[in-house]
Amino acid sequence: MFKLYQRRMKSLIKYALVGLVCVTSSVYAQMPHDVIYMPKKTACLALTYSNSSWKEYWENTLKRENLNIGTLTTQSVMPMVAVGLTDKLNVLVGLPYITTNASAGNLMGQKGIQDLSGWVKYQLAKNDKGFSIHGVLGASIPVGNYVPDFLPMSIGLQTKTATGRLIGNYTHKLGIYISAHGSYMLRSKIKVDRDAYQADNRVYNTNEVSVPNATDAAVRLGYIKDGSRIQAELFVENFTCVGGDNIRRNDMPFPTNNMTSTNVGFYGKYQPKNIGFNIRVAKVVNGINVGQATSFSLGLLYQLNQKVKK
Amino acid sequence: MKNIYKKILKTFIILSPLGIGGGLLLSCDKTVTEPIREAYIPAKLDENAGSWKPYILTSSSEVAVAAPKATTDAAYLKELDSLKNKIMPVLTPANKDAIAYWGAGAVYRWNEIARELAARYNIPPASNAEGKYPVPDAANPLADPRFPFANPPYTARMLAYLSVAQYDALVSAWNYKYKFNRKAPSKNDATISALLPVSDLPSYPSEDAVVAAASYTILVAMFPGEVPFLEAKLAEAKNARVWAGTNVPSDITAGDALGKAVAAKVMAKSRVDGMSASNNQTLVAGQIEAAKSRGIKDTWVSQEAPARPPMLPNYGAVATWNFDRKTLESIRPKMPYVVGSAEWQKEFEELEKINKSQTREQARIANYWADGAGSYTPPGHWTREAANLCHENKFSEVASARTQALVSTALMDAGIACWETKYYYYTPRPQQFGLKTSVGLPNFPSYTSGHSTFSAAAATVLGAVFPSKATEMNAKASEASNSRVYGLIHFRVDCEMGLTHGKKIGEYAIARGKADGSGY
Repeated sequence: MFKLYQRRMKSLIKYALVGLVCVTSSVYAQMPHDVIYMPKKTACLALTYSNSSWKEYWENTLKRENLNIGTLTTQSVMPMVAVGLTDKLNVLVGLPYITTNASAGNLMGQKGIQDLSGWVKYQLAKNDKGFSIHGVLGASIPVGNYVPDFLPMSIGLQTKTATGRLIGNYTHKLGIYISAHGSYMLRSKIKVDRDAYQADNRVYNTNEVSVPNATDAAVRLGYIKDGSRIQAELFVENFTCVGGDNIRRNDMPFPTNNMTSTNVGFYGKYQPKNIGFNIRVAKVVNGINVGQATSFSLGLLYQLNQKVKK
Repeated sequence: MKNIYKKILKTFIILSPLGIGGGLLLSCDKTVTEPIREAYIPAKLDENAGSWKPYILTSSSEVAVAAPKATTDAAYLKELDSLKNKIMPVLTPANKDAIAYWGAGAVYRWNEIARELAARYNIPPASNAEGKYPVPDAANPLADPRFPFANPPYTARMLAYLSVAQYDALVSAWNYKYKFNRKAPSKNDATISALLPVSDLPSYPSEDAVVAAASYTILVAMFPGEVPFLEAKLAEAKNARVWAGTNVPSDITAGDALGKAVAAKVMAKSRVDGMSASNNQTLVAGQIEAAKSRGIKDTWVSQEAPARPPMLPNYGAVATWNFDRKTLESIRPKMPYVVGSAEWQKEFEELEKINKSQTREQARIANYWADGAGSYTPPGHWTREAANLCHENKFSEVASARTQALVSTALMDAGIACWETKYYYYTPRPQQFGLKTSVGLPNFPSYTSGHSTFSAAAATVLGAVFPSKATEMNAKASEASNSRVYGLIHFRVDCEMGLTHGKKIGEYAIARGKADGSGY
């Protein structure tokens, strides 16, 4: 069993690295939340720049600004690879480099490599009327040794995560689609540099911090054409922690916080040939214990179609 | 069919690392591991602690305690019977949890509770719509901003009065314990099997009730919005000793009255120590002028927006414990490096380098010792060290309280002397010259470092009480001091002079301890 797994990993690497010389066939680029699949033995590389900033945030439910933070900007660059193991089974792997910066005040910006994430997406069922159901399993593991509790400057929370996701989709033959997903994310305890901290209105005399699990859900309405060479959608996304405490009055956030946000946005993709790009803009419309972020990202896509020799 | 199996197998192979990895790594358990503190028989009973010198009381018999009923008295026998046949047989799991919790020690737990309250109240007030910072109001403690703002000077003082009240009350309790010599219930009735270890210490008045009542009295005064929380803790602390079969109710009642009476005397002293004038902002303009006249060219300016008035500019005038005002002035650190001088430039360059490329280890040290907003502050950090050392060394309640009193009076003296120095020189923080911080910027002048002064004072005292730990404690103080350079909020001279100052302050507490008759 383990040998089989090793062999599979080797061919994965082959898919990712060997196939740099490409012969164009179909063109796809995909995300862990969509229903697009790389065909068997093809891969796509994406390099995405993201920028997210907020001036106002919810301290518990109180919406406020902070003159000693000004505007907090998070930027990231993430290389990502998506590989078609079969036409119905894809693997995606990504690793971002992140920087944060506050426009006012004295808090030092943070930067570094964050968490390696991997996703496996599988088409569970599909009928000829355009309906399909997909299962996604994801996991992430911190790679950089960044500080997780210097919020809001920290680049991540240092949790290991495991996510289960179900996606339902209907695509009309004209190309209009509607899709919805729900996910549950397990998040591990973390360790912080200090050996006492306050959460849930008490002091914990330990360096272990319990980070709440989370759910996320989204609904997307869009248009897709030519095997996803062209795609445009509007979406609503919600991220909700399962439990957790709130930011105390005039205090800073902490990894135990019940962070909740609802995002609306637009996603578009244009990939006429091997090379393409995607764009995403979104804004948080409601939340608790989070910044009201406006974000955008730009991705450069590159399709690999090398047939790997057996 | 074969194909499907192949597919399932393939899927399984791909998913299993995620599944197994995820499962192993996360294992859904959200409980965090905290150190467990168990009950113990003290290594020494400190039989003569009734003759140790109190801080506020003139003697250990200043507050009277009535003689208990004899162990042959019908009323006492009834108490034993009730313990055995009515109370102990019907304990709930919650009762047993309370017994184990309080079994760690009264001084230990009440110090922990005090630290927790400090953390909960250690948040600077938010600015209002007019760009002002409202001052917390003791008469309306739960309004925004809540009273108190338990910053390091406030917390140092709170812990000092708490520990002094515990110590004076316990010295009194020991006096009466050995005067009346009524043993614990299980020593008078062999059929009572207590749920906690029982020593030969006389049980009237109960040391746990003494500490609970004294602590309650101080903490209610220091955190007036926490009366219901503290009442519940007081009731549970007292009940737990009866539930455990280690005391009869008359031990508790006598201890409760003694603890409250002693703490009331300690609180009376606290009301005239000058704390009420510690936030006198009208003095600031004069302080700045005086600092300039001493040769300080660039003075401190609040880096917050809107500018926040400096923290407790007159805390330096609060009454000290272990030395007088003349001594305070004579040990004040000398003039710091003036901005722009060669020495200042060298230290600034050290900070610039960290600002550019702080290492992860520097960040770790800065974070470990930060003890900033929302924490129990550096004084809390050091009384936690003291509490753990007392517990590990199986100190009696009175020896633990003595240790905490020595440490926390040194911490308060350190706070006062350091604040006096800060406002005497009124020097700028590195952030006035463009540097950032990885720990948050305190809103008061730079020289000398509070963390360094607090840490050296406490470490010096702990090194004297636990000589085998002296090297370790001094190393911790040095690390705490360095942490403020690594966190970029102090110049090195602030920290070095703070350490030296703190050590001297700790030595005055040690001198007090050597003369208190304890023999420790």
